[in-house]
Parts: sequence; C-alpha cells; structure tokens
Amino acid sequence: MTTEGEGKAIQIEDLVVRYGDRQVIDHLSLGVAAGEVYGLLGGNGAGKSTTLQAILGFVSPTSGRVRVVGLDPSAEPVGVRRAIAYIPENVALYDHLSARENVDYFLRLARLRPEQDEMEAAFRTVGLAEEAWSRPVSGFSKGMRQKTAIALALLRRASVLLLDEPTSGLDPGATADFNALVSRLRGEGAAILIVTHDLIGVADIADRIGFLEKGRIGDEMVAEGPDRFDLRALHDRFARVRAA
Amino acid sequence: MTSLLREARFLLSLRSAALAIACLFLLTAVAIGAGLVEVARQEAAIARIGPQQKADVAAVAAWASKGRDPGDAAYYTFHATWDPPSDLAFAAIGTRDVSPYVLRVRALGLEAQLYEGEIGNPEAALPGRFDFAFVLVYLAPLFVILLFHDLHSGEREAGRLRALEASVGSTFGFWGARVAVRGAGLFIALAIPFLVGAAVAGTAAWKVAAVLTVILAYLAFWIVLGLVVARAARSSLANAMTLAAAWMALTLILPAIGHVVINSAIPLRQGMELGVKQRTAVHRAWDVPKSETMNAFFRTHPEWKDTAPLTEAFHWKWYFAFHQVGDEAAGDLARRYHDGVLERAAWSERLGMVTPGVATQLALHRLAATDPAAQIAYQDGIRAFHGQLRRFYYPYLFRDKPFDRADFDRAPAFQPTSEDGSWPGALLAGVVLMTCLVGALGVLRSRR
Repeated sequence: MTTEGEGKAIQIEDLVVRYGDRQVIDHLSLGVAAGEVYGLLGGNGAGKSTTLQAILGFVSPTSGRVRVVGLDPSAEPVGVRRAIAYIPENVALYDHLSARENVDYFLRLARLRPEQDEMEAAFRTVGLAEEAWSRPVSGFSKGMRQKTAIALALLRRASVLLLDEPTSGLDPGATADFNALVSRLRGEGAAILIVTHDLIGVADIADRIGFLEKGRIGDEMVAEGPDRFDLRALHDRFARVRAA
Repeated sequence: MTSLLREARFLLSLRSAALAIACLFLLTAVAIGAGLVEVARQEAAIARIGPQQKADVAAVAAWASKGRDPGDAAYYTFHATWDPPSDLAFAAIGTRDVSPYVLRVRALGLEAQLYEGEIGNPEAALPGRFDFAFVLVYLAPLFVILLFHDLHSGEREAGRLRALEASVGSTFGFWGARVAVRGAGLFIALAIPFLVGAAVAGTAAWKVAAVLTVILAYLAFWIVLGLVVARAARSSLANAMTLAAAWMALTLILPAIGHVVINSAIPLRQGMELGVKQRTAVHRAWDVPKSETMNAFFRTHPEWKDTAPLTEAFHWKWYFAFHQVGDEAAGDLARRYHDGVLERAAWSERLGMVTPGVATQLALHRLAATDPAAQIAYQDGIRAFHGQLRRFYYPYLFRDKPFDRADFDRAPAFQPTSEDGSWPGALLAGVVLMTCLVGALGVLRSRR
C-alpha cells in the first residue's frame, strides 16, 4: 500500500508519544521532501523537541510511524543518524578545540575521515573567516558556532537537516547569512526541518509551515508567489491555532 | 579500534584529564620508587647480618671457649633469623613496616624475644606506608571520580549530549569507547610504573599478572560505580559529591568500623598478657625451690630427668629450664595470640567481600607475602629454629658436655622459609562480585 507521503525524506504518520499519563504528541502527521524546507512552528510545550527526538530515535513512539530516508529511527537508529545532521539551538562544541578540531572530531564520530581541503572548502562555503578555523571555539559567537555546525553538516553530506531554533539570538546579518546557507542546502536536495517559535524567521526560508499545538498540527500553510508568505495571515492563523 | 583512537586523541586534548592521568602516573612512580628503596634497605639490613653474626659468634667463641661453661655459650650467643622480602614486597609493604623482619634470638625463653624490635614511633606507622597498595586503594578511586563523574552529565550540561548522540552510529559504542579509553588511561598510569618496579625487583610473571588483574578489577569496580551514579542523570557536582561520599564510606569509614568490630570481637590482649605471664613465670623461679622448677620442666621433658641432680649452686641447666617453663606457662596464650592474629585476618578477608578497597589491599598483601599470615609464618619459623637451638644446647647443659670452639660452628643456622605469596582468588572474586552487584543495581534502577 502506498501512503500519501511515501518517498519523503522525513515521514511522520499518526504519531503519538506519551510520557506516563501525559500525551505529548497527539496523532501528528507531517512529511518533508528532499529539497524542501519545512518550518514547524509552536510555542513552549507544543511538542517541537519531542518531535525532533522521535525523528532522531531518542524517543520511541507510543503509536504511529516515523520514517527517515525510509528507515525506522527506533529500529535502525544508526542508519537514521547517519542520514541526519542535527543542529541544536545552542551549538555546543568543545570549547578547548578549534573549529577544525571540532569538525574533525564530530566527523570521526560519524565514522568519516575528513580531508583538510574539503574541510576548508566547507568553512569557506559557510562563510567562517579563515583566521577562526584554528582558533579555540570558546571565543566564537553563536553565528560562528552555527556556521561551524553547518560546515559539519555539509561535510557529512547529510540528506536530512534538523534545525532547532536556528536563528534565535542571531543578529540580522547573521540570520541572512544563515538563510542563504539553508537555501543553498535546499538547492542541493537536502530535506530540512526547522523547529522554531519564531514566526518571522521561519517565514523567510520555509516552503511550508506547520502550526504545532498540543502535539498536533493545527494548520499548515504553503509558500506561494514572490512574497512566499503573507505575514499577517500567517500570524492570524497561528494565533487561531493557539487559541483553539 | 578507530573509535578508541579517536577517543584517546580527544582525552589527550582535555588538559584536566591528561593532567589527572599524568598525576596518577607520577604518584604511582613515586610509590613504586619508595617501595623499591624500602625493600633495598631491608635487603641491605639482612645482608649485613651474615658477616656481623660471624664476627659476633667469633667474639663469644674466643671468650666462652676458654674453659667456660657451655651455659656461657648458650647464654651469650645470639642466632640471627630474618624474613627476606618477597619479589613483590616493594608494591605492598604491609606488616613488614610494623613487625620485625630481622630477629636475633638466644636459647632462652622465646616468647619474650619474639616481639622485640627496634623502637619506632607507632603513630608514625599508623597511616601506613606510601606504597603502591596505598596509591591503588586510596588514591586511584579519586582519579576515577575525577574522570568519570561528568562523563555523561558534563556533555548534557554543556548542551552537547543530543548533538553527540545524534552524530554517532551507536551510542553504546561511543560511550563504551569513552569509558574504555579513560579506564585504560588510569590503568596505564598504574600499570607502567608497577611493571618497571616488577622488572627491577625480578617479580615472578604470575604475580605480575595477578597484580594487573587486581588493578583491573578494582578500577572496574569504581568505574561501574561511577557509571551507575552517572545514570541517575543528576548534575556533575551531585555525581562528584555522591562518588566522594562513596569513596569515604568504602575506603575509610566502613573498613575502620569493620576493623574496630573485628578487633573488639577478637581481642589480642594476649600480646601483653603473654609477655607478663612469661616474665612472671621466669622471675618466679628465682624465689621458689629449684626442685619445683625442675619438676615442672621434667614433666614435659622427661628425657633430661636422669641427669645429675642440682645442688644449691647456680647451674645453667636450671636457668635454661626455668626459661623453658616460662615459655610453656605462656604457651596457651601464645597459641591464642597466634590463632587470634589469623582469625582477625580471616575476618578482614570477609570484610573485604563487601568493601573492595579492603579486598584489594589484602589481595596485594597476600601476593606480596606481607600479610599477617606471612608474619605468623615467620614467627613459626623462629619457633621451629628456637626448638633446634634448645635441642642443640641442652645435651651440653644437662650432660655437662664441654663446649669448645668447634661446637660454635655446629650450632644450627636459620633457614628462612621463602613465603612466596599466593593467588588471592576469594578476594578477587569479592571485588568482581561487588562490581557485578553495583552494576546490576544500576541496571535495575535505570529500568524502573
């Protein structure tokens, strides 16, 4: 039997997650195709982090189905994590190591052997200044840390990117740089799921936006036309979902 | 293998971790060095006995053979006994620090001579020697705590945990490699100086293997305990405090309470009573008729009954007889003391079944033959030798045989029994059992 979302890089169907008596995800269904940016918008406690954890295989579904590049994260976490690059809200790297050493270490964790020229090319692509490559990341700004993490994602050739609140705390210039990078990765065929509560930030970059409330998608909007999203309409629908 | 190399490189990049391992290495090296120096000092002292004994006997012989009584020779000649250190004593000095390892005895009453040693400050001996056993039992767990208390929680607190676990194929493999590398770092810091010490001391291969097994088992216990505490998902500080409390309880408080209980349950007051009883019996002989002493002596040594009767004049055979009667009067106490020391050791071993620190220390002392059993074995060797001395001198004393210069050379010479240590199977099993128990409790707790 072929379901509607078959073939999508991330496919969640009727997902329910319970922590004891508390239902955190309530029959959630969503799909993200290759070359698509999906913005999952929700307030605190809406279930954004649990959704990410279910995709990463850290949380097992109570019922329903999660597939990442066709694999079940609960049953095949190794294969799933190999396909995913996860960039948390605050990219925490090893402060005593340089950007180069951090990337080298994390790539080796994923059983990859990084070439120096590839690494440098990735740093250039994400716009990390050359003088920062060999500097301990303890002095890095949030934007520089994110660039390092995205360089890592590029080098891992991850087909799925999970971005958790990626633009929070970034200045407008860094946000624009970040969005340009995400667009580029989308152009290269990555399926990108952005989890955020920042409506304006996600509107700039997402192709579709799902409004998550009480563990389920209350509404969904698709980008249309040159302006992509009407911010006013986006805000109204988000407010309606939250009030429901 | 790749993941182990990756984690080894990572560990070396952590200055605090590398420093901790280097510090443990240095402490172990110093302890091993101190142990080798102490053993060399004891061996040098033992080596000096031979020539000194020869010179001493020659001086007594020169004096006593000039028409003197054989009693003069028996009374004035000291006979050296010694307990050579085993090839592993450098790692665990044990009772060699507080009990004599060289004792010169005469054919007089033995019990008063057995506990004679050089005067040392007992308070200085109380904390024990800074040897390898001390570093392993008391200090190594602190380094385990240092390297493992924040293994998991540190990553969580830094916000890296999810990113790390999302980056690896198998989280079990990742944490396994981290644990193995840190554990290996500590093992190497302990094992390399020990191996160097063992090479210098010429330690038997089986003992080297046994000590390495003891190190591995004890480190494994603390690492498993560290991981179980870390599973509770508390803060690094809380983990560190919990583990420090466990260290206090398992290496200091429980062993101390255990030893107080054992010492109260098996009192060894016999040591003091023994000396007093022997001396009282000996000194009493001056105040009672000689016949009373001799009758007591002949009851246990009838072979000398038909020798020439004593007169009112002093005779050495009476003197030596009342010394032996004194020893026999204290014989029961001596046996109880002997058995008490071994019983205390047996109960300490039982205590080791629940306190891995005690088990580890006892295992090293047993391997090094520096435990109470080895001390008792040396005393038993002295007793046997002393019996030979009596059997050698008594024919001269009781039959009034002349004792000339050549007879000095016929006196028995002490042959040390080579205590070689033994495999501490039960003690090791205790450590492994406790490790499994702690691990099982951790698994049960995490499933709840």
